[in-house]
Amino acid sequence: MSTLRPTSQSDPLPAIEAHDVGVKYNLRLTRRNTLRHSFRNLLSRGDGERDFWALKDVSFKLVHGESLAVIGPNGAGKSTLLQLLAGIIIPSAGSVEVRGQISSLLTLGAGFDQELTGRQNILLAGAFLGIDRQDMKRRLAGIIEFADIGQFIDAPIKTYSSGMRARLGFSIATSVDPDVLLLDEVLATGDQVFRAKSKARVLEIAAAAKAVVLVTHDMTWVTEFCNRALLLERGQVVAEGDPADVVRIHQEHSERDRIARAAAIAEAHAAVPEGLAPKLKV
Amino acid sequence: METVRGAAPTYSSSAVRPGPVGLVREAVGELRSRRQLVRYLVQADLKKTGADSLLGNLWWFLDPLLQMLVYVVLVSVIFQRQQEAYPLFIFAAILPWKWFTSSVGDAITSVSSQDRLIKQVHFPKIVLPTAALAVGIANFGFGLIPLLALMLIFYPEKVSVYLLLVPVIGVVQLVFTAALGFVVAAVNVFYRDVGNISRHVLRLWFYLSPALYGPVTMAGLGEQHPELYRLMLLNPFYTLFTAYRTVIYGTETANGMSLPPSAPDWTALGIWLLVSLVLLFVATILFKRIEPTFAKVL
Repeated sequence: MSTLRPTSQSDPLPAIEAHDVGVKYNLRLTRRNTLRHSFRNLLSRGDGERDFWALKDVSFKLVHGESLAVIGPNGAGKSTLLQLLAGIIIPSAGSVEVRGQISSLLTLGAGFDQELTGRQNILLAGAFLGIDRQDMKRRLAGIIEFADIGQFIDAPIKTYSSGMRARLGFSIATSVDPDVLLLDEVLATGDQVFRAKSKARVLEIAAAAKAVVLVTHDMTWVTEFCNRALLLERGQVVAEGDPADVVRIHQEHSERDRIARAAAIAEAHAAVPEGLAPKLKV
Repeated sequence: METVRGAAPTYSSSAVRPGPVGLVREAVGELRSRRQLVRYLVQADLKKTGADSLLGNLWWFLDPLLQMLVYVVLVSVIFQRQQEAYPLFIFAAILPWKWFTSSVGDAITSVSSQDRLIKQVHFPKIVLPTAALAVGIANFGFGLIPLLALMLIFYPEKVSVYLLLVPVIGVVQLVFTAALGFVVAAVNVFYRDVGNISRHVLRLWFYLSPALYGPVTMAGLGEQHPELYRLMLLNPFYTLFTAYRTVIYGTETANGMSLPPSAPDWTALGIWLLVSLVLLFVATILFKRIEPTFAKVL
């Protein structure tokens, strides 16, 4: 484990504190069960791996004003970490503390009610986030203006394009004046203009001494706009600190894994008689 | 757990969860602070049921009327049963039953249908079955309009002050329905068979409850199958249907006639209110206990 020192700031109360957090999934329960499945599971109790730790021994602190990028390969536990910080799932081990109003529309717009109009969905989303109705009504104009979807704001969400949905979602998530903003793969949505606008918005929130945690695969975004990065691999923190260093480690690791995978496939390939070899892509 | 704006709220979570009474207190607090969310969800649901169909919300009057018509044809024409004011006799039971089944049906899918949202936002999941129950209350309210119309037009002699007791009986039914609703909402997250099973269980339950027939028929059945009869008396809908019928229709007599409406059996209703409150308490604990796993399982 190569740990890099984060930019040390002496805030007595960090926005986010995670102590040895673990999230365990019970594999028997994580699939949509029917009674038939669980009877079969009951019968086969004992064999097979039943628990899966999506996150293990994760500890970090984030002070207000920092924006942390969470990177790592698919299935490393990045989204689980965001869900944990948002309070959507509770830790199976350790503890998390988040101070401040959290905004957590993780995959933007996924929770919209298809039949309601954009305007109604803004109020509904506010109610889900636990924001006072009057407060939300005051923010309505700003949200609509930022989303910039014109007449569609009074049309049902089902008529929206995926880009429009993402814009409205982003606009809501960032307009509720969060102290802690959690974003999951959201900067890749929308057209160039909106992308630039949303980057500016995230920077603005970070500059207003709020804490931002975002999951992204866009490494330029990590190095240019985040002041810290955290690399997750198989549910564990592999590296943490300066974005440029963490991104470099991540790229080295993914290159190493790619070569290892290619070697494994080549080996399997060689073991199969000529002509029967399946065509495999690396 | 709750984040309130203003006073720099702290959210913290760990593997430790509160005890049973703490969970119920938490649920009550969540419902109080999220009243607005429940209201929005109810409004959205009512708007939707009316939006897609030609007759819109008119269906809330037509549905019970047509259902009553079907049973009237079946029982008075095919089975040739004679009972004074039979349409009103069954309407007094069909209306609360429709309320019960639609509430339970909505509650079953209330949590599992919001799977995407549950994985996105932290909010108290108990608002979802609660909203489903609230929609049911509103629909029962609409259903009382055709009941009143039926009575005023065809059975004005049955209209009495006892009609005002319908909401009181409704409270007992609501508490019982809520207890069941919370349980099925939570269990359906893990086992999607709940919807299928409930359809058949509810149908059997309906025919075992005195909806199409009254206590007189039940007593006749009791001579042949005493065990079944005793079991039927333990059915909350025996008490509820009898109570609704007593205040709306009156009391059925052996010769197919009826006595005018009167006050219901308060003791039986009181017992069921107490039992339902205990059930609701247990159901709330169960729901809150397994709530943290919803986001993982969905």
